[in-house]
Amino acid sequence: MSKKIKIFSIIALIVAINPQQAFAYLDPGTGSMIMQVIVASIVGAGAAIGVFKQKIADFFKNIGHKGE
Amino acid sequence: MNNYQTIELSSFKDKDAQVYFENNILYRRIYNSYKNDYDLLINSGLYKTLTKQSLLIEHTEIENSSDEIYKVIKPEEVFITYPWEWCFSQFKNAALATLKIQKEALNYGMSLKDANCYNIQFKHNKPLLIDTTSFEIYKDGEPWVAYKQFCENFLAPLALMAYKDIRLNKLLISNINGIPLDLASKLLPFKTKFNLGLQFHIHMHSKMQSKYNDTNKKQTNIKISKNSQKALLDNLINCITNIKLPEYSTEWEDYYRFTNYSDESFEKKKSIILEYKNTVNPKIIWDFGANTGVFSRLFADTADEILALDIDPLAIEKNYNFALKNNEENIRPIVFDMINPSPAIGWNNQERGDLRSRAKNVDMAMALALIHHLRITYNIPFCKMAEYFSQIAPYLIIEFIEKDDSQIQKMLLNRKDVFDDYNEQAFENAFTKKYTIIKKDKITNTRRTLYLMKEI
Repeated sequence: MSKKIKIFSIIALIVAINPQQAFAYLDPGTGSMIMQVIVASIVGAGAAIGVFKQKIADFFKNIGHKGE
Repeated sequence: MNNYQTIELSSFKDKDAQVYFENNILYRRIYNSYKNDYDLLINSGLYKTLTKQSLLIEHTEIENSSDEIYKVIKPEEVFITYPWEWCFSQFKNAALATLKIQKEALNYGMSLKDANCYNIQFKHNKPLLIDTTSFEIYKDGEPWVAYKQFCENFLAPLALMAYKDIRLNKLLISNINGIPLDLASKLLPFKTKFNLGLQFHIHMHSKMQSKYNDTNKKQTNIKISKNSQKALLDNLINCITNIKLPEYSTEWEDYYRFTNYSDESFEKKKSIILEYKNTVNPKIIWDFGANTGVFSRLFADTADEILALDIDPLAIEKNYNFALKNNEENIRPIVFDMINPSPAIGWNNQERGDLRSRAKNVDMAMALALIHHLRITYNIPFCKMAEYFSQIAPYLIIEFIEKDDSQIQKMLLNRKDVFDDYNEQAFENAFTKKYTIIKKDKITNTRRTLYLMKEI
């Protein structure tokens, strides 16, 4: 889990370091929209990694079962 | 016949719909601009799914003859409470319900355009979205427009209640549109920066808001996939689920354990109240100073609704969780400070009403072991109390405690006794200006007397 947090924090930092070039907006809710995109990307990636890990685990499990 | 209509005073922001009363019945008219959204809500099955889970208010469609109006709907009636009157668990359940609704809406191609705490009310102690027109058609890749509102209306107050002080939901009284995230971020303790959810959704979010508050370039390319939005919602659900109150108790929560009367007197008190109940047979009862609701529950088998009001948020927390666990549908615990009641706030001081304006058809008020606090601790005269209770309901059950009772002596221990008028005769004189005494009973082996009164 701590590794995951580290990876996420680094991604967050990279995205947040220079966000003005990526999203500049006039609306006072802009910061919230950008934050939402950042968090969604991070947790979305986390969820995707989770699914991917599960798939790999299932794959090896299946091989194991076939071997039996 | 043209019936008299009045607009619901908080219903002026939505261009697509308006809530109004006709002959004291509440309706919502939906304008043509909302036709496509309303049709999708109904035809997609979202309405059915959410009402089946008791997450969305049910309504019936009413005949409508106006060309400008697409539909008139009649929602079921709910008693309105405000988030500064909720205990922590009520708030938490309301927040989780909002997120659950948004996740479900995405499955049906819709999204919540509003996520304010006023749209959630409680029916049978379970959270319910009352704003039928707060859904809009989801556009692929569109971020959740209500994310900021959700964080300010739900996440910030919950985090402040759990990590700073349980009373901080009252900050919503001075911040009707939600607690500004910069304020929440400043108030929250440093340790919350290590909570990933709170770091993202409050601390970093607040910094992002100030960073982009003053920019003058336009960028329309903010996109987020549906799956990413669902991951965001899951993250918020986890974050809120993990926000828990610290374990501590308050003076009032333990009240019944430290009363100065015996089990026998306690049972006697209950039996007198039951007798009064059978005399009046009230359907709607407001129990002031209800604590965890022991005496409120004496009415549960015959009443339609019991409002259990208490100043102590932890007593209400206990009462609410007990009611929820035991599927008690007609007890509604709310946090209420009698000496400074919920005010009317918002636009023209009419948007969110005070509690008294919500007192409709209340049959009975009850004030047990309460008025000595009002008189001695807060210096409220008896005549003011009689006036207040008589504005709420025609019947009153009230308990008078003699000054030589050990609890009152404890209250007077370190202060000057300036309460010469604190005696049974003065109490009766003040209350009989507004009420007739129907019954009066001493509680055996105590310095306490119960009264059943009827408004003159």
